[in-house]
This record gives sequence, C-alpha cells and structure tokens, in this order.
Amino acid sequence: MAVWRNFLTLTRYKANFLFEILTSALFGFGMLLFSFAFNTSLLGETVGSTNYVTFFILGVSFQSWQSIALWTASGIFQGELSTGQIDYTFSCPFSRYWYIVSNIAASAVQSTLFFFPMFFIGLWLTSATLTITGIILGLMATILSVAALAQLGAIFASLTLRYRQVSAIFGFFNFAFQMLTGMFIPVQLLPLPLQIIGQSLPVTFGMDLMRYYTMATKSIMLVEYEWLILFIQLGILSIIARLAVLYLERTAKDQGLHYI
Amino acid sequence: MLKIVEVESRELQAITCSGLVKEYKTQKAVRALDNISFEVSDGEVFGLLGPNGAGKTTLVKILATLLKPTQGHAEVRGHDCDKEENKVRRITGYAGQDSERSAYFRLTVKENLLYFAHALRDVPIRMAKERIDSISSEIGFSDKLDKHFIALSGGEKQLVIVMRAIIHDPEVCFLDEPSKSLDPLTARQVRNFLKSFAKEHRMTICLTTHNMKEAEEFCDRIAFINHGRLRFIGTPDEFRKQVTIKEIVEVGVPKLSELVEEKLLEIDGVSNITHDVSIRLYCDDSFRVLNEVLAVLNSSGIKVPIRIIEPSLEDAFAFFVKEDEVNKTV
Repeated sequence: MAVWRNFLTLTRYKANFLFEILTSALFGFGMLLFSFAFNTSLLGETVGSTNYVTFFILGVSFQSWQSIALWTASGIFQGELSTGQIDYTFSCPFSRYWYIVSNIAASAVQSTLFFFPMFFIGLWLTSATLTITGIILGLMATILSVAALAQLGAIFASLTLRYRQVSAIFGFFNFAFQMLTGMFIPVQLLPLPLQIIGQSLPVTFGMDLMRYYTMATKSIMLVEYEWLILFIQLGILSIIARLAVLYLERTAKDQGLHYI
Repeated sequence: MLKIVEVESRELQAITCSGLVKEYKTQKAVRALDNISFEVSDGEVFGLLGPNGAGKTTLVKILATLLKPTQGHAEVRGHDCDKEENKVRRITGYAGQDSERSAYFRLTVKENLLYFAHALRDVPIRMAKERIDSISSEIGFSDKLDKHFIALSGGEKQLVIVMRAIIHDPEVCFLDEPSKSLDPLTARQVRNFLKSFAKEHRMTICLTTHNMKEAEEFCDRIAFINHGRLRFIGTPDEFRKQVTIKEIVEVGVPKLSELVEEKLLEIDGVSNITHDVSIRLYCDDSFRVLNEVLAVLNSSGIKVPIRIIEPSLEDAFAFFVKEDEVNKTV
C-alpha cells in the first residue's frame, strides 16, 4: 500500500517524474566525462594549468552562487505557495520581476559567506599568478554571470508555478550545469555538441574568466568575446525572464495561486 | 480645470462590481461566481456571507487583484481591478485565510510587520515602527511583539495577519474570515478595533465570515452568496426580516423520520424545514400551525419540547441555503 501511495505521488506531477528518470540517465553519462579530467597532461595542455585542485576549488566555489541564483526564487515561490503567503505577496504593489531578482540578490549576498572561504583557499593556492586587478576582474565576471543566472532563476520560478512539483527538474538542470559549464571538466574537453550547449549557459564564461584572471588559464575564446557574450546573455535572458514572469502572473490571475 | 473639479466632487464608490463571472478551468469548467453586481460605499463595513464554496473568497480575490474575472468588471475606488491592478494594490490591504503559516516563522512579530510594511508596502521604517506600536497597543498585543511568529497561538497569528493588512493605512481592506480561530473575547476586541480604525481612517472593510454575530455586530451591510449567485444584499436587519416575515416553530430534536417530516411539511402554512441541533419549521403564522404540528408529533408518538422563536441571522442564513437546495432539486 505504501508503494502504491508513493507511486501515485510520484506520477501525479508528470513533468517532475520524467525529469527524475532523465536525471539518473544523465548522471551516468556525466560520470563518463570525468575520464577526460583525470588526464592531467591533457588538462594542462587545454587550460594552461596542471593545478587541477585549484581548478576544481574555484569551480565548486562558483557553485554556491550558482545554486542561489538559479533556485532561490523558485524556492521562495514554493514556500509561499505552500504556506499561503503568496496571496499576500501578490496583493502588494510591486513588480514581480524585481521581487524575484531582489530576493535572489539578497540570498546571493548571504551566500557570499559560503563563497568566499572556498574562493580564498583557491586564490591562496594560485598565489603565483594572482594580482589585485585579476581578483577584481575575476569577481566582476562572477557577478555578471550570477546576474545572468538570476534571470534563468526567474524563468525557473515561473516553472514552479506552472509545474508545481519541480525538485527533479531542478536536479536535472543542476547536474547539467555542473557538467557542461566547466565546473569540473574543462569545456574544451567536452564533445562538440556538449560544448555548444555549455557555451550557451552564462556560468561557462563567468567561470572561465574567473579562472583566467586568477589562475592564468587559457580562456575558451578571446576574453573580449567572452565578456561580450556574457553581456548579451544577460540581456537576452532578462527579456525572456520578464516575459516568463508576465506569463506567470497572467496564469496565476486566471486560475488562482493555490496550485500545490 | 473644470474637468478636475468634476472628478474631485464626484462621490467615488469604494467598491463596484458589475456582472462578475468567474470560471475555473478544471476538467469540467466550474462557475464560482455568476453575474455578481453590487456597490460598497466609502467607509462602509461590508460582509460577505454564504456557505463553504459559495464564491466569497473568489470574489474577495478578484477585488484584491489576485484573480481576473472571466466576465464583468470590478473597481476599487474607481480603479479597474484587472487593468489598473497596481493602483488598486496601493490603496488596499488584504488578509487571506492561511494565517497560520503565512509569515516568517523565525522572525518576531515586530520584524515580520516591519519587513512587510517597508519592503512590500513601501512604508518608511520610522512610520512603520510607529504604526506597529500604535496598532499593537490598541489591540493589546504590545507584549507579544518580540515573540517569534512560530511561537504564537493560532489566534495570535491571525491577529498579526490582520495587523499586516492595515499596517500601510489602506483605503479599502479585504479580510477573508478575519475572526477565524480567535476566541470570542479576542474576536470582539479585534472587531471593535477594526471598527474604530475604519471610522478614524475612513477605511472601507470588505470581509467574508461564517460568524453571524460578527456579521450582525460589525457589518453595516451584508451580501449573501450561494452557488456563486448574489441572493441578498442589505443590512443585517433587512436580512433577518427576509425570514422574519416567516415565523419559526422549533422542535427540540435534531432529526425526525422522513415520514414525520413529510407530514409536517404538508401542514398548510409550513413552507420550509431546516435542521441543526433542532428542527425549525418556517411558517406564516406559527400560532395557527402549532396545534397541527403537535397533532402530527402526537400521532407519531413523539414527545419533544416545542416553542415559537424569533428568527436570528443564522436562521436567515440557513433559510436561504435550504431554499437554494430546494430550488436546485426542483
């Protein structure tokens, strides 16, 4: 009976169920990609450094801001939907888009506490290549990348209201983001189709620039292009995010907010 | 210039609803509101009554800009609730039914109110603090301001949600069952406070309630809604009088056999029967039917107390619900 109950719950949210299955398959494929990273000479040739410990540390430190940017708003909406607070929130006179973005910003500031310890350990290990300008530019690239990610976060928040139970969808994207953006494995070592997908995500160039400025790694492409692409990604994602939030609000007004 | 004077001198209704229809698209379209029209004047306390699922919350949510009507339109102080939603949001307050969890658990009452007032309602911090102090002292809540929200009782949480709804001094306030989970004394205290606050600030209140005492004591006018339709609008007195033209014979048992009830309904002059802790027979002249009621009960061997009573607001409520059920069956 308990199995029946669990199965019913699992299949009630179909999109989430589908992504739960996809994630397990993706995880298997993702692990295969690690084989590239453990060839240290190839790593050295590709990224211009064999200091793969720092390479990982800086990648993982980025993760604390990435998860905040992507999932904060969604988490807030899920929380407010289940407590009923969302009715009050939506009865207040402010832009929903800015509500989402400001909440992400607040959480990002809070998350800095968790980002900096790991970031500084990474910097300490790269002391040979470190300059003040490098740290500043690396942090600026990170902030720009997080701002672009926050737009994706707003889109995911809209998904929360649309698909109600989205934890598996989160898991799928989280893992995809980790594997395709160069967090653990240099993007240049990925098969071409995955490289293309990876380069379309705003984390990739943010992380690449951070490593370039602090570790003096080889960048994926000319750094000027990477900055430009980051700005373009921020612009395009902001427009999509605003449209998604507008759609979210229209849908919510049509059918009510108590979806979960 | 002339135009401005005209607009300023025109008496604006606090709330105007015209032909409101709301349908939810589930597997089968559900019509929650069906052609609702009414107006609420400035400064009025207006109550929405009706059984569960009647459409009261849907109506309040449309007025608070949380839902869009399928047809018709609603205005608050002359602003369209759909097309000018932000203008409406600026001048309204809202307290929904989910009070138990709808604030930040780990923040104190004061911190919660400060956050909502300043961050979501744009009230300057200093002014927000002053309002929190003045409202909480008026409803005897000052000693609980430093308690965590999670540590409050259900009724206290409800009070915080009501305080949150008025913290920014709205022109119109929507309260969905504000006295739910309040003990009678606190409920009265909150009613008294809201009434004086509304009078002092010329605030219009639109509330839903199942509490007939609240409707009677608190509301200037009430609307009775059932199955999404507006069945009555007027003062609580007028609502009662809808039934007062009928008189009531109360039979002191909660239920009788179907056969006996059929016989009672067949008595000339008895128009309706409702059930609660006792059975109530609605009739035009209770003295005339009393003997016949006794005869039916005696012939069935039933010995129960019988009395003639004055209809209350609750009777009027029950009467309308029953009448709708009968009409639906027919």
